[in-house]
Order: sequence, then structure tokens, then C-alpha cells
Amino acid sequence: MSTVISQEALTEHEHEPQGRSFGWYGMVFFLASEAVFFANLIAAYLYLRVRAGAWPPTVEHLTRPEPLMTGINTLILLASSFPMHFAARAITKGDKRGLTIGLGLTALLGAIFLGGQAYEYVHNAFGPSTGVFGSTFYTLTGFHGAHVTFGVIFLLICFIRSLRGDFSQNKHFAVNAVEMYWHFVDAVWIILFLTVYIL
Amino acid sequence: MATENLWTEHIVLQKRPRWMKYPILAWITTTDHKKIGIAYIYTAFIFFVLAGIEALIIRTQLAVPNNNFVNPELFNEAFTMHGTIMLFMFLMPMWTGFGNYLVPLMIGSRDVAFPRINQLGYWLLAIGGTILALSLVIGEAPNVGWFAYAPLTEATATCLSQSATILSQAETAAAAAASAAGAQGCFSAGLNVDVWAVALSVLGISSILTSINFIVTIIKMRAPGMTINRMPLFVWMMLVTSFLMIFALPSLTAGASLLLLDRHMGMHWFQAAFQGDPLLWQHLFWSFGHPEVYIIILPGFGMISEILPVFSGKPIFGYAFVAWSGVAIGFLSFTVWAHHMFAVGLPLVAQAFFSASSMIIAVPTGVKIFNWLATIWRGRIRFTTPMLFALAFILQFVVGGLSGVVVSVVPVDYQVTDSYFVVAHFHYVMMAGSTFALFAGIYYWFPKLSGRLLDERLGKLHFWLFFIGTNLTFFPQHILGLLGMPRRVYTYPSGLGWSSLNFMSSMGAYILAAGVIVFVANWFFTIRRPATATTDPWDAYTLEWVTTSPPPPENFVEIPIVRSARPLWDLKHPDQADWRKRAPRQPVPQS
Repeated sequence: MSTVISQEALTEHEHEPQGRSFGWYGMVFFLASEAVFFANLIAAYLYLRVRAGAWPPTVEHLTRPEPLMTGINTLILLASSFPMHFAARAITKGDKRGLTIGLGLTALLGAIFLGGQAYEYVHNAFGPSTGVFGSTFYTLTGFHGAHVTFGVIFLLICFIRSLRGDFSQNKHFAVNAVEMYWHFVDAVWIILFLTVYIL
Repeated sequence: MATENLWTEHIVLQKRPRWMKYPILAWITTTDHKKIGIAYIYTAFIFFVLAGIEALIIRTQLAVPNNNFVNPELFNEAFTMHGTIMLFMFLMPMWTGFGNYLVPLMIGSRDVAFPRINQLGYWLLAIGGTILALSLVIGEAPNVGWFAYAPLTEATATCLSQSATILSQAETAAAAAASAAGAQGCFSAGLNVDVWAVALSVLGISSILTSINFIVTIIKMRAPGMTINRMPLFVWMMLVTSFLMIFALPSLTAGASLLLLDRHMGMHWFQAAFQGDPLLWQHLFWSFGHPEVYIIILPGFGMISEILPVFSGKPIFGYAFVAWSGVAIGFLSFTVWAHHMFAVGLPLVAQAFFSASSMIIAVPTGVKIFNWLATIWRGRIRFTTPMLFALAFILQFVVGGLSGVVVSVVPVDYQVTDSYFVVAHFHYVMMAGSTFALFAGIYYWFPKLSGRLLDERLGKLHFWLFFIGTNLTFFPQHILGLLGMPRRVYTYPSGLGWSSLNFMSSMGAYILAAGVIVFVANWFFTIRRPATATTDPWDAYTLEWVTTSPPPPENFVEIPIVRSARPLWDLKHPDQADWRKRAPRQPVPQS
């Protein structure tokens, strides 16, 4: 495996040593594709909502969940972007301890957010099959929750690798990748929160 | 030999594990863009034959009125699988395969940007294709049409659990139970729809990963001097196609996910009884589905733009127009999707918008047609097999494009939607267009991929069988559609004036099958001959012909330096090199 990596590095070196790395470009286009996926979900949600008139539809006799608790949860997720940012900054200066702490803290905050979401799911007055309101609610928040879950796993992998000393000042692309991914997931949540709870 | 040095260096660098000496394991674990490209091409061709057999089943069933060749259930599976496989397991992987093989060679690179993600993309494709193929074996193939409209695809959790018992009962009881279940929103209780949704999601992810790889490769790994306006046009079109894939396929993934959630989590996205909306499915599907049409055709445009100049002995006419009209098509392709939905009762203003945008997208496409014609004009044309396929492509694609403009007129679409006219239209685009471009590309690049030229006599026989077969199969379908024959009907009574046209169409399908057999024979005999193809057998212009046929593991001994859009021409004719001239050369003397 490691020999293959060195070959990729060679290829990269032969072509354009300057500018952003291949991986950076790859992540940008991957996240662009992810953004389109969420845009589709939001568009589908708005389409059904506009056509239903009242929201949740009057026949379902539901009220939308209160934004207060989820709002606090949102703040926790947003706050997690800061340790992520500082972790990535730390490793560019060669501060491996700062990296480990930052990654761990980010993963912890992400896990707290997931806990909050699970609590909310259990205590909601409606389920995914109650009506179209429940369908949209659980799909939009659920797909995001799945992304956060993946992000936390990704963070934990980087955390363990950081503990093992895999990253150095010059070689830490996984940290950059998880940082981009995490900020993206945060940004998507702001839009989803505003769409599903506030709008 | 320099090639051998390169190979030794490669071995030293890689330190291959011992089990890599078994060719099959070497192929399974390869990250080499050329091997992965060939794997894509072979996989896609196998599925082409499979979907072709399904087409023959359809045409045999429809050859005569009141026919009973297959039962209606199998017929539904045949047309669904034919469409799904031809698009997702034949044309898309074929373009990906040729893109994988050719893009790094054409831009003067040693490999793609992410060789292992490339490998992952191929194996996801293999998994998705296997799911589709296995569904045929277990008799649960998708049977709801390739666009799988809700609510036909819907089921509820309760009816899914009952479906096992329904299947085991006698046929009449099953039919009664099914119709009763249909009243409760349970139209497709079997695995069929799930197979479709899961397989297409996997294939979608595969295509997204591959597209990211193409984009980064093309942005970052071009040879020195190859500016974006000197890239071969096939590379241009693969770049546009890759952007279409990363922005269009998420719509399909989202739609398929919502469908699975409806079916298995009891959700109501597409169920009108619960304020969901079946039309939402159509919007999601076609906002993927129309860019998909251009994903299918644009790489073909690219291949044609490579092949026509070489066999006309001239540079492409209006390089920048061909390239940037492709970009324009890419953008516009996201604004036309609802022309598939005129008959569902869209608001008037939406109909007007989508009708107009569907006509506008014909403009950049027409630009390309005129560029190609001007490229051939007064050229020194060599009628080789690839050139014959390319010329037939232009002719037939114009027919398909024009019938597309016809159905973008809303009242006409009301009349012919879901009739055989539409079937004729998109087969003229995908079979007479894309597939002809693909075979032009296969004959053209086969020596580069294998080191052997395909036999020209068999190639020309293949071409004429395909040319006659395609037009005999699909041209009568225009008339059938105008006479009112709906698509996807299982059979029809005699006396409607459809019989002779359907018979002609079915005979054309058999001629096409004969063409495929000739091609396979050509391949079979050619591949057994010694590899004697020269580096540049066609007297071509682009970088893939600079290196040996087939290329060594790292493609080039030395990365070439590029000074114009025709680097190989410059190398062969230093005193007449393109970069010495400000304007593109007019008729070019043979060297």
C-alpha cells in the first residue's frame, strides 16, 4: 500500500508541485456533489410544503417541533467548527498535541449533537410514517445526522491516527479533508435548521 | 530500449507482492488507468449484449400482432432492463472506460489523479451491475420502466410483508390480492423496485467518484504547454460530462433514497393520499434524467471531433466553438427537464419556459454539426470504418436532434408523448447517435488499446449492417408513434396499420444483432493476431499516438511538451507546425 502512495506523490510532483493539492480539489468536487444532494432534498421539501398550503398539513393535526432545544443543539454543532479549525491550524505549525486535542474535542461536540438529535427523535410526537410532515422531517434531519455520524467516525479515525503520530507538519491531508467535510456538514445544518424549524 | 527501462523502474518502485504474478489478481487489484479503462469497456460490452438480447425479446414479441412470445411480466422486465442497462451499464461505463484509458494519454499524464478512487469506482460499478444481473436470475428484475414513475413503484410496509404469501398463492388469487393491495397504495410489492433503486444508487456513487477523478486529472495533470484551449476535444467533453455527473447524479440518488424510504420506512413522499406528490418523483428523476441524456451524448461528440479531422486530413473547424458549445450544452441541460412532463399538467408559464429552453439547447448542438460539416468540407477524406461510423453519426444524430425539437413543441408533445415517436426519437440519439460514435471510437482506438488494427472488411460489413439495421428498426417507429402506437405495449391487434411497420422494425433489430455478431467475430480474430500496430497507424494529431501501442505502464518515456492543439502534427511536420501559424491551416497536404 505505502509504495502506491509514494507513486501517487511522485505523479503529483511531476505535474504541479505548486498550488492546491489533488486532494483539496477532490474534496471540493465531492462536497459540491453532496451539496447538490441536500439541495435536492430541500427542494423536494419546499415543493411538498408549498403544495400542501398549511404546514404541517391540517389533516395531520401536528405542530412543528419547538426550535429552542434544537437551537441549542445547533449552537453545539456550530461551536465544534472552532476546535476543528484550531486543530488544522495546529498541525500546520507542527503542534501535534494541539491537533489531537482539537480533533477529540470536535468529535465530542459532534457526538453530543447526535445525542441531542436522538433525544429529539425519541420524544417527538410524530414518526416518519405519521404523514408527509414526518416523512420530510425525518428524511432531512436524518440524512444530515447520517453525515454527522460519518463525520464523527472520520474524526475519530484521525484522532487515533494523531495519537499514533501519523501526521506531521508537511503530511496531514486527512486532517484537511475532515476539516472541509466538517465545516460543510455544519453549513448544511444551518440551512436545514432554518428550513425545517424556523421558516 | 527506453520502454524496458521504464518498466524496470516501475517494478522497483512498486515492489509488487508475490501473488501479483497471477494475471487475474493483478487485474483485480490494478490501479493503472489503462487496465481499469479496459475493465470498464469489457464490462460495458457484456452488458450491451445482455441488454441487446432484451431488445430482441421486445422486438420479437412485437413483430406480429397478438403475439405471445413471452408473457407480459417478462415483457415488462425486458423493456425496463433494456433501458436501465443500456444507459447505466453500457453507455455510461463505456464513456468512463474510454475516458479512463484516453484522458491521461491525451493530456500527457502518467495516470489519473486518484488511481485508487478510480479502482473503487470500477468495483462499485461491478457491484451495481451484478445486482441488476442477479435480479434477472432470481426473477425479480425491475419491471416499472427505466424511469420508475411513482406511484407505480410504491408499496407500504404492510403489503411488503404480505407479498411473500401473495406470490405463493394461485395466479387468480394473486391478481385479486394485488388489485386490492393497489387500492391501498401497494403497486409494486416485489423486490423489483428495490433492486432498481439500490443498483442505481450504487452506480450513481460510482459515477460521481469517477467524475471527481476526471475533473482533478484534467485540471491538474496536463502536460507542460497544454493550456485548456489546447486540450483534445474528447478531453473537453469528458470534463463537461464529469461536471454534469457530479451535479446531476445526486438528484437520482436523492430520488431513489426517498423511494426506498417510502417503501421501507412507511414514508409518504410520493403518496398523494398523504399529501405527498407523485409528480415530485418526476421532477427529481428528470432533473437528473435530462442532464443524463447529455452525459450519454457529449463524450460521443468528443470522439467525433477527434475522428473527423484525422480522416479529413484537416484540423477541426472552429475548435473553440466546438469546445465551448459543449460547455453551453452542459449548462442548458439543467434547464430543460420538465419537457419530459408536458402531459402531466404543468402551469402554462412552466410549459412555455421548458419548451423554449429545449429549443435553445438545439442551438449549441447545431453549432457542432456545422463545425463537423465544415471540417469534412474539401478535406482529403479516408473512408475507414471509424470514419464511416462518424459520418453516419452526423446524419443520424441530425434526425434524432430534429425530432427532439419537434417534441419540444408542447401541443405536438401532447399528441406523441409516450408513443413510439418518442421511442424513435431517443433511439436516434442514443443508438444511431451515441452508439455509432462509440463504435467509431472503438475502431479508431482499438490499435492503441490492443496493439492490433481491427479488420477493415469485417468492420465495414459491421458498419453497413448497423447502418441499415438502425434505420430499419427505428425510422418506422416515428410513423408508428404518429399512428398512435403507445410505447411499452405488450401486444396489439391487427388492422390498426401497425403490423407491417412493426415487422420491419423487428427485422431491423435482427440485422443489428447480426452486426454485433460480426463485430464480436472481428474482435475475436483480431485479438489472436500478433500485436503489430504501429505507434500512429491513422496519421493522427493527439498525444495518445505519440506513445507505443499499447502504451507502457507509465504511458510516456518523457512527458511531451505541447505548443498547439495538434501536438503530434507539430512533431511530424516541424516546418508546418500549427504553432507557427496564427490562423488554423486550410487543406493539409499529406506528408
